[in-house]
Amino acid sequence: MVARVAGVFDEKLTEAIANSKILVVGAGGIGCEILKNLVLTGFPNIEIIDLDTIDVSNLNRQFLFHKEHVGKSKAQVAKDSALGFNPNVNIVAHHDSVISNDYGVSYFKQFQIVMNALDNRVARNHVNRMCLAANVPLIETGTAGYAGQVELIKKGLTQCYECQPKAPQKTFPGCTIRNTPSEPIHCIVWAKHLFNQLFGEEDPDQDVSPDTADPEASGEAGASALSTEGNTAGNVERKSTRAWAAESNYDPEKLFTKLFGDDIRYLLSMENLWKKRRPPTPLVWDNLPGKDNAPAQHSGLPDQRTWSVHECAQVFAASCSALQKDLKSRADGDHLVWDKDEKSSMDFVTACANIRAHIFNIPLKSRFEIKSMAGNIIPAIATANAIVAGLAVLRAQAVLRGDINSCTSVYLRPKVNHRGQLFVPEKTLTPPNPKCYVCAPKPEVGLACNLKQLTLKDLTTAFKEGLNMQAPDATVEGKGLVVLSSEPGETDHNNEKTLEEIGLNDGCALLVDDFLQNYEVRVRLQQEDEEKSWRLVTDTDAPMPAPKEDEKPANGSNGSDPKPGPSTSRTRADSDSDMEIIEEDDDEPTVKPPKRRRTEVSDEIVNLC
Amino acid sequence: MVENNDIELSEAEAEQYDRQIRLWGLESQKRLRASKVLIIGLAGLGAEIAKNVILSGVKSVCLLDNEKLKEIDLYSQFLAPPDKIGENRAEASLTKARALNPMVEVTSETKSVDNLPDKFFQEYDIVCATGLKQEQLERINNACRDSNKKFLCGDVWGMYGYMFADLVDHEYSEEIVQHKAVKRGSDDAEKNARETVSINVKRRAIYVPLQNALSVDWTRPEMRSRLRRGDPSYFVMKILLRFKDEYNRNPDPAKRKEDTKILLRMRDELVKELSLPAGFIVDALLLDVFGTVSGAAAVIGGVIGQEVVKAVSQREPPHNNMFFFNPVKCVGFVELYGQ
Ligand SMILES: [Zn+2]
Repeated sequence: MVARVAGVFDEKLTEAIANSKILVVGAGGIGCEILKNLVLTGFPNIEIIDLDTIDVSNLNRQFLFHKEHVGKSKAQVAKDSALGFNPNVNIVAHHDSVISNDYGVSYFKQFQIVMNALDNRVARNHVNRMCLAANVPLIETGTAGYAGQVELIKKGLTQCYECQPKAPQKTFPGCTIRNTPSEPIHCIVWAKHLFNQLFGEEDPDQDVSPDTADPEASGEAGASALSTEGNTAGNVERKSTRAWAAESNYDPEKLFTKLFGDDIRYLLSMENLWKKRRPPTPLVWDNLPGKDNAPAQHSGLPDQRTWSVHECAQVFAASCSALQKDLKSRADGDHLVWDKDEKSSMDFVTACANIRAHIFNIPLKSRFEIKSMAGNIIPAIATANAIVAGLAVLRAQAVLRGDINSCTSVYLRPKVNHRGQLFVPEKTLTPPNPKCYVCAPKPEVGLACNLKQLTLKDLTTAFKEGLNMQAPDATVEGKGLVVLSSEPGETDHNNEKTLEEIGLNDGCALLVDDFLQNYEVRVRLQQEDEEKSWRLVTDTDAPMPAPKEDEKPANGSNGSDPKPGPSTSRTRADSDSDMEIIEEDDDEPTVKPPKRRRTEVSDEIVNLC
Repeated sequence: MVENNDIELSEAEAEQYDRQIRLWGLESQKRLRASKVLIIGLAGLGAEIAKNVILSGVKSVCLLDNEKLKEIDLYSQFLAPPDKIGENRAEASLTKARALNPMVEVTSETKSVDNLPDKFFQEYDIVCATGLKQEQLERINNACRDSNKKFLCGDVWGMYGYMFADLVDHEYSEEIVQHKAVKRGSDDAEKNARETVSINVKRRAIYVPLQNALSVDWTRPEMRSRLRRGDPSYFVMKILLRFKDEYNRNPDPAKRKEDTKILLRMRDELVKELSLPAGFIVDALLLDVFGTVSGAAAVIGGVIGQEVVKAVSQREPPHNNMFFFNPVKCVGFVELYGQ
């Protein structure tokens, strides 16, 4: 018997715990705390999954890990440490992604409760569906700084994780990034794009050169119906930035002169842009501000000192050569991946963002600040994680005791509300949204797109990124005709054909299903000539109901409604109110995720103006 | 109080504390690094507080306990390994406590608080006392007060818990975030950027000692009106402190039935004594007060750990002066008593 002392709990709960099997998804800050509580309480069977490895910046809160564990599997080390509290518990650790065929519906069905301690929306969505399909109660947790929340999700009883649309990721118009930045974040986004253009995976949506198709520049601002040709024609040069840089052997002075001299002069020639704006000032490599000044006296962390433009240029040169060397040492066609914790990558983005900021009269930022914004770091502390994990395990006990109806969502507020409450429970369970395209009895969603342009490949992307499916199959409703197959090769020959070409038209309904998630949704196609990509149309698109007075936590001084969400909410730079509650800052998983996760881990989606 | 020494953080410190420095700032981290903390009572709650405080990066933590590790402690005490049953709880916790953060100096003290002079407690910037009787708590609180040192105490019984804080005369800064529109060289309204500006406001909070908070006169009209809208958690604490006084122990899981009867009787006595509304302190609150439930210890230990951080870093408003966790409603709230 693992529960060592009888009488701590009543008999019913003691027995329920003794017969339970719990899955903990995530072994980060909250995951470590949940595991500790479960093991101490005497939960006899626990499985824990995490694909991540331990980083030194985890150690201020992920207390099952110590310095000597850096680089090792979180799940495995968490298991080993926790067994030290109670060696009689049976813990199974998986150093793995939870999104895998190894963890199908039948795997989930063996647990009485699943506890989520995740740091990204993709995995949260996936576990949500698995728990709905397996009909297992899910306890969803998250923290951001001082705030946090615990939420029970149970099929048919409560809303699911996807019942309410999540705040969309903040995006910046491409022309703001390329032509008219006005805030530090615009320069940081540009600098990260530049990194990818020069050293990373080239992405045509991340062009960094002046955008001549900017409707404002053409003098017909407002008539913004851009043709697709406009995009390509808008680039100053057809040659890729990467090819150009390689030709000049990544010579820092030449790069600098092009990026911060020539391109800026080109922008100046687009006079319309500067009628109501302060124009940018091109820079000259050997005459930069701060050249003759000794660095200012600075107290604080070295990273918190803001560099002069001259220093930025030096860092630019040094990081360029380091990154070029790294790139050259790799196999042909391989590329670098931007990482805020890699010195040269972070140096490069800091230097370029600041040089560009100076050009556009935008305040310069320290490397420390730019790291927060570029790396989407959400602060994380031990105490908030401990509180949320403690509440989550108490909620799990209540579920096991049969009190599931009492398990309303609980919010940990950064500061007490006007009634003095620090942990604020909802009064009632929130019932499922009958129009939810995930948990409704007959899920349905619209997909707006231009059928004449959207290809089958794009449609697959829409299912994966928009509907968060892993391996979608699609048939035409009523006809059973297979449009898209998850079997390799079966429908690949149609990948480049447009939906119109494969016979799909406006109003056509597809039955799309994901075998792993045991999830099927009816997708109605809606023709929209203006739609350049695709867009989900849901009945839940109505704005979120305003938070009930004083039942939701506030971030900082402005009341907001934090929901578990992606680790890549870039909106933090703008306003606290958009900050979403998530578990960790642990940005990208170490294992490169499948391509479908690109929007989750990539930094920003840049739309055309 | 805590001197902010001007020695800069090492690279190792900056790296390890990065995620919290981004939340509470470098100044707070420096103040934390200069502060000495005493944690009394190494049952489950003491272990939780110790973990949170050591992880935060204070200068030193002393673990004080004269009791031996018992089997029931293992339900919530994760610093002392199971094979150390029978050993002193503070000493048994040292190895794991130190491993949490080698940059913090962790020591132990095995004397009873009753055998330690006032000046022992006055050497720390903040004292967190758990598992003691009311009389012992009041004595240590007053000793801290006499030398202007901060005092916190709390306890967890089963799933229920409370915290009390006496930060004496506490100055702190509070960050207030404001949004303002910033114009960037253009009259074009849509080109105006919104910028968040945070300003630090200095504030001051005056606290009362524990004996004031525990000897509230419930006949006063303002206290009666508080009863009408209030939560009974304060009285649960009163009942459990009385139980401890009277029986010289906490409610015992092995005597769950008998002790529940005693608790309900004590509840009825208190209701009569203070003329509380009948049914105000529901039975459910007194049924799950056995041992220390790990989840509850984590919750209360998290709150107390955060109050230690706020108190020594003098940043953000600390709770004044009692926090209660009502597990029946899963609500945690702050109320001011004795002022
Ligand atoms: Zn739903």
